[in-house]
Amino acid sequence: MKIDFQQLTQMIQKLKANPYKIYPVKTPHTGKIIEFKVKEGMEVTGPRGKWLEKPGSPLFVLEREKNPKIISSNYNGVVQNIRFEFLNKFVEAFETVLEIKHALTQEEIISEILLSTLFVIKAPETARYIINPELAKQIEKEGLGKVTVKQGSELLTMTFMKRETPIHLRERGTFVIYRLYFKPFEIVPSNAPLIGLCPVEDLPYLERIIQRIKEEWPA
Amino acid sequence: MKDKVLIANRGEIALRIIEACDQLKLDYVALYTKEDEESLHVRLAKKKYRISDYRDMNDILAVADEENCTAIHPGYGFLSENYRFARRVVKRERPLIWIGPSWEAIRDLGNKLYMKRVAHELGIPVIPGTIEPLYNEIDAEFKAEDLLEEAEAQGFKEISFLIKAVAGGGGMGIEEVKTLEEIRPVFRKIRAYAKRLFGEEGVIIEVKIPRFQHLEVQILGSKKGEYVHFGTRNCTIQSPFKQKRIELAPGFCSKYRYAFDPEKIEREIIEYSLKLAKHFNYDSVGTFEWLITPEGKYYLMEVNTRIQVENEISAKISFIKDKPVNLIREQIRVAMGDNLGYTQSDINFRGMSLEFRLIAEDTRRGFVPLSGTINRFQYTPQPWLTMRTHVPQDTPYTIPTQFDPNLALAIIYAENLEDLLQKSKIFLDDIKIEGQTPKGETLLTNIEFLRENLNFIYQFI
Amino acid sequence: MQIELHKALRDLLDTAEYIKDIKGEDFLNIKEYVNKINEICANFYDFSPSEIKAFYEKTKETVDQILLKAEETLTPYEIVKIVRHPKRFTLMDILENVYDNYVELGGEGELNIDPAIVCAKALISRRVGNEVYFHQVMVIGHEKGQGEEYRRGGSATPWGNEKALRYMKMAETEGIPIHFFIFTPGAYPIEDYPGAAQQIARNLYYLSKLEVPTVSFISEGGSGGAEAIGLTDFRLMSEKGYYSVISPEGGAAIEAKLRDERPPRELVEKMAVALKLTAQDNLKLGTIDRVVPEPPLGARRKDYEFFKRLKFELIKATDQIVLQTRSIKLLRRYALSKQNTESFKYFVNWELSEDEKEILMENRWEKYRKMSQWAVLESKGIFKSLTERGAKITQSLAYEFKYQVLKKGQKTFKKFLDELLSESTVLMKPVSDPVKSVYNLIVGKKIRPKVRALAEIDVDSSMYQSPLALQDRTVTCPQAEKYGCPDLWVPDLYGEFCGVCPTCGYHFPLEYNWYLNNIFDRDSVKFFNEELSSSNPLNFEGYAEKLKAARKETGLNSSLLSFEAKIGGISIVAIMLVADFRQGTVGVAEGEKFIRAIELAKLTRRPFLSLVHTTGGIRIHEGTLGVVQMPRCTMAVRDYVDSGGLYLVVYDNNSYAGPVASFLGSAPYQFALKSTRLGFAGPRVILETTGQPVPPDYHSVENALKRGHIQGIWDRRELRKKLFFALLTMGGPNLYYR
Repeated sequence: MKIDFQQLTQMIQKLKANPYKIYPVKTPHTGKIIEFKVKEGMEVTGPRGKWLEKPGSPLFVLEREKNPKIISSNYNGVVQNIRFEFLNKFVEAFETVLEIKHALTQEEIISEILLSTLFVIKAPETARYIINPELAKQIEKEGLGKVTVKQGSELLTMTFMKRETPIHLRERGTFVIYRLYFKPFEIVPSNAPLIGLCPVEDLPYLERIIQRIKEEWPA
Repeated sequence: MKDKVLIANRGEIALRIIEACDQLKLDYVALYTKEDEESLHVRLAKKKYRISDYRDMNDILAVADEENCTAIHPGYGFLSENYRFARRVVKRERPLIWIGPSWEAIRDLGNKLYMKRVAHELGIPVIPGTIEPLYNEIDAEFKAEDLLEEAEAQGFKEISFLIKAVAGGGGMGIEEVKTLEEIRPVFRKIRAYAKRLFGEEGVIIEVKIPRFQHLEVQILGSKKGEYVHFGTRNCTIQSPFKQKRIELAPGFCSKYRYAFDPEKIEREIIEYSLKLAKHFNYDSVGTFEWLITPEGKYYLMEVNTRIQVENEISAKISFIKDKPVNLIREQIRVAMGDNLGYTQSDINFRGMSLEFRLIAEDTRRGFVPLSGTINRFQYTPQPWLTMRTHVPQDTPYTIPTQFDPNLALAIIYAENLEDLLQKSKIFLDDIKIEGQTPKGETLLTNIEFLRENLNFIYQFI
Repeated sequence: MQIELHKALRDLLDTAEYIKDIKGEDFLNIKEYVNKINEICANFYDFSPSEIKAFYEKTKETVDQILLKAEETLTPYEIVKIVRHPKRFTLMDILENVYDNYVELGGEGELNIDPAIVCAKALISRRVGNEVYFHQVMVIGHEKGQGEEYRRGGSATPWGNEKALRYMKMAETEGIPIHFFIFTPGAYPIEDYPGAAQQIARNLYYLSKLEVPTVSFISEGGSGGAEAIGLTDFRLMSEKGYYSVISPEGGAAIEAKLRDERPPRELVEKMAVALKLTAQDNLKLGTIDRVVPEPPLGARRKDYEFFKRLKFELIKATDQIVLQTRSIKLLRRYALSKQNTESFKYFVNWELSEDEKEILMENRWEKYRKMSQWAVLESKGIFKSLTERGAKITQSLAYEFKYQVLKKGQKTFKKFLDELLSESTVLMKPVSDPVKSVYNLIVGKKIRPKVRALAEIDVDSSMYQSPLALQDRTVTCPQAEKYGCPDLWVPDLYGEFCGVCPTCGYHFPLEYNWYLNNIFDRDSVKFFNEELSSSNPLNFEGYAEKLKAARKETGLNSSLLSFEAKIGGISIVAIMLVADFRQGTVGVAEGEKFIRAIELAKLTRRPFLSLVHTTGGIRIHEGTLGVVQMPRCTMAVRDYVDSGGLYLVVYDNNSYAGPVASFLGSAPYQFALKSTRLGFAGPRVILETTGQPVPPDYHSVENALKRGHIQGIWDRRELRKKLFFALLTMGGPNLYYR
């Protein structure tokens, strides 16, 4: 792995110019929006607690088949573009109800930049993916940047056309699972990043990059 | 109040339901998911809602309430054979008409073991095997021994067994066993597999029928207790995963030679199908699937408590008082409580019909379903050809990856076998489906497979 | 001279400060005296000795008077403060001053298995005339520490209690008595192996049949933590000790329904009174046997007179236990003899013969069987109880006859098998088939099943319908986020799904009637002892009303249902703790019902099942009368298990605290339904005690299984089937169908 520090600096600069990400909050399914819990410009938080056991700030209440469901925020940020016209209206599934303007954290900046540095496994098809359960367990236990995989390891299962297809690592060598870029059960468009791997021997370089970003971008 | 039908399905069946509703002058509401936005059923529906999933009962019912629908048509697949959904539809505070058989019928006939037991009690032949789940190998061995005796008595040769998980299906949790010695280990293996995968460890043993034809009887019952049938179909040509590829009506063809009297057998399986339907007060369209052996033995396999993909080939050869039939329309009519308005003697059968299932799949590599974009979808309209498809012909279409990759159904009608084969060939030579996979390769279809298999129709496979 | 004076003055200051700590600084101007003495002490050499002496004498007189006044007006909450005061004597002081020689086992000081538990082999001496005799004893107790953090104030960890158990067993091997010293605010509520609740239950289980004389002495008896070493033949309590189901602060917080804030002082003081936690109260309640007197405001480290008295009481208590196993005459003679703290008239050998051990066990059993029984309300005339006793004896004979005689031909088993196969309930289906072959396996011969035997077709119209299912609405599975579970339609969820999410297997709580109707054979459930209820024995303010409300709301008299039932034709005795009645908490009525039920199971040689719908612990309103249900019931469990039965516990929903740490946790076979929360103390209590939050899945069944608490995780949909298999395959040789 070679580090192009110039390119790195450029990327950091680009991110610094607009260190935000807009997350649309969509209805997970149909239903009536019976209450908004937020106002324009309000600050909200994502899940909290040591184990993220406390849900994020409530955003709105969606009721369907007599089940009022609180939709809460998955991100820290500021609420914008609330579609108040939906209040007491029946809305379709995946309708954008509001947006959260989220200031990127150091961790997210690192993830973003690492996308161009890591060996990224991309989605071969628009499909649902889940990480190999054994690996998932290991990652849960040891954390990212610790679990290694080798050529031939089963990384993911793709659910596609009602069939489950395992995805194996084809590259030679030993890699560390460094980043996950998708959520299980969610549909991932083809070519979107799934897993970021780092060859074991390149770990020191990677740490230097991260160090560099941390310097540029104090937490 | 005018009835309004919620169409809880996608693709070509949604289109056929729309057509039937229009014929009956009923209002309807269509549903779609975000993957299906390009589908023709979305484009052609006057009223439609985006939901999260075709399997999400809550979304479906929420839309039904919002739109004041009075009935739900589940199509095939998805929730069509889910008796809990059917039950909820009719039992909820604001009940709706379920366009399909009663939920009890769906439950009881959908439970294969239970159905087999009842059929057996009614004297209907079922595949020799256990009628109750086995949980331990001692019993399994005994049952297999008895089965062997019984099968030998029935004249079977080179008998082998199928050990199946009760909860399995579609080729999962099933294994063939050739000798009694293998019963125990395979039984244990299947039981462990079933326990792990389905959470239910019941296992059954059946005699394997080595060669057969797959016939099915199309019946229709009304809420008034009237019953008619629309003849038989032959669906023997399937993919290795037991998915139908070519269907024919009627089920036997007089141009072929049989070691038995096909007319007699057809009569008998129709009779038995109706007997079972009546036992369950079956009040909708339904399909009874039978295995026919070369020697002329026949066994009831399963009952499909819904409209079938291939229903239209039966409709094509059937005429009520000399008028054409639309089985989906008949299904909706009886669900609304209408009388049939005709009896079996009013139904005449004329000609033959064949259905091709056009699918984007790699038939040479394990029938893997393929995704991609279809850039050209073209065929010459013919008076004898009915195309059922949700793929638009005027714009490129991306195949959604969440569903079966069925592209189109081609239904051909002819007066006789020669005519049918000729028209089928004309169609297969004419149809053009071109596209690309996400990797930029040419999108494969099963047209070649269909052409090759035309040689095997009405054969024992 | 001057040094002695200085020392005397210091002691006086010590006492004055102590009074101030206990009674508050406004008590009879004590604060001023403290300040004055302090001032003189600080400037000791500025005054002439005579001045100081005069000051000392005058002040001492006043302080002594204040001390007496303080003692007279002592409140229960002040007693709690005495117990917690750093100047109070600890176990180390007792080891130094009561025993003649000791060797600590399992570690000393910080280098220890658990510094909160001290175990020591010790000698205690007795003077008879001119002779001095030494007795060997095992000393086991909590060490609060004299300011050392690592002792955690005497809160024993799970492995600390295991340490205690190890040395109990050692004493048993060597045949020497054990003296237990209880100085604990409660057990350290962490679930690490071997598990807080589990280890306490295990200790109680062993203690109930420990074949050596055991004496316990309570200074600070904090609920379950105290019981871990508290099931003994003789229970002493120090006059200024407290023994309570919960700390007054904790009780006040629960009663005031406070979550995160501290309860106000008045409420805490009121609670201390209401809980009846003093030595005198406990003596009256019958939860202890004798009170060891203490000096005014309690004994401190240097009260040597107190230690002398304690030594005497310990020897006397041990003597009494031993003599009770010998002869009444001997005991009476001993009691009449003028024993005093200086010398004994008799030497009593503390070793027991095999016969004496048996009597010891009987005495212990009787003691706990009777304890707290008076507080149970039961409408019952003399006549009724007499006839019942008669019936019991006849019944017992009948059972003996039936099962001894019929056992050989396996007729019983065959009979119930036949009964079983003729049944055709929906739930029976998956069960009935496996039974046949299990039977074949047991009998060891192949019975050729009929090939085409068709069972009757089931009709499920008479199935029990949960009232929860009668609504047309949907609910969201709590694990939907993680597993993508679709919303569930309530009639499906509480009907066919048995309250289980079909996607992820999450178990929603169900009403207790569901279990009664779906687990047992139809119409086989027969309740008994339904009328038993609690009498509000502490006259706890508001408790009678609460009980009344619960009775009205549920139609039950206690939170514990005891009943006979059948599963697949096998007759069992069962109890169920239900959430609806005061969160399934346990008091005297529940304990008594439990014991009677398990005794019935023993008598009739049937399996015994505890179904825990929910239990919130020991009910605080019945104080230590509730706490003693832990040893009482565990003793009954031990008795039953030793008789060769099958004791099975199934947990559901929330199962916490005392019951889990005793009669439930001591079961050889414990299973939990998925989604159960199982443990000793809830997350909030753990956070308050340890200062560390615990992860959300801390009390999950998966973790309980990993910790070895339970033997397996069951699915509610298969509960009946699982229970049936358990009945066939588990348990001792003495079940009626074996």
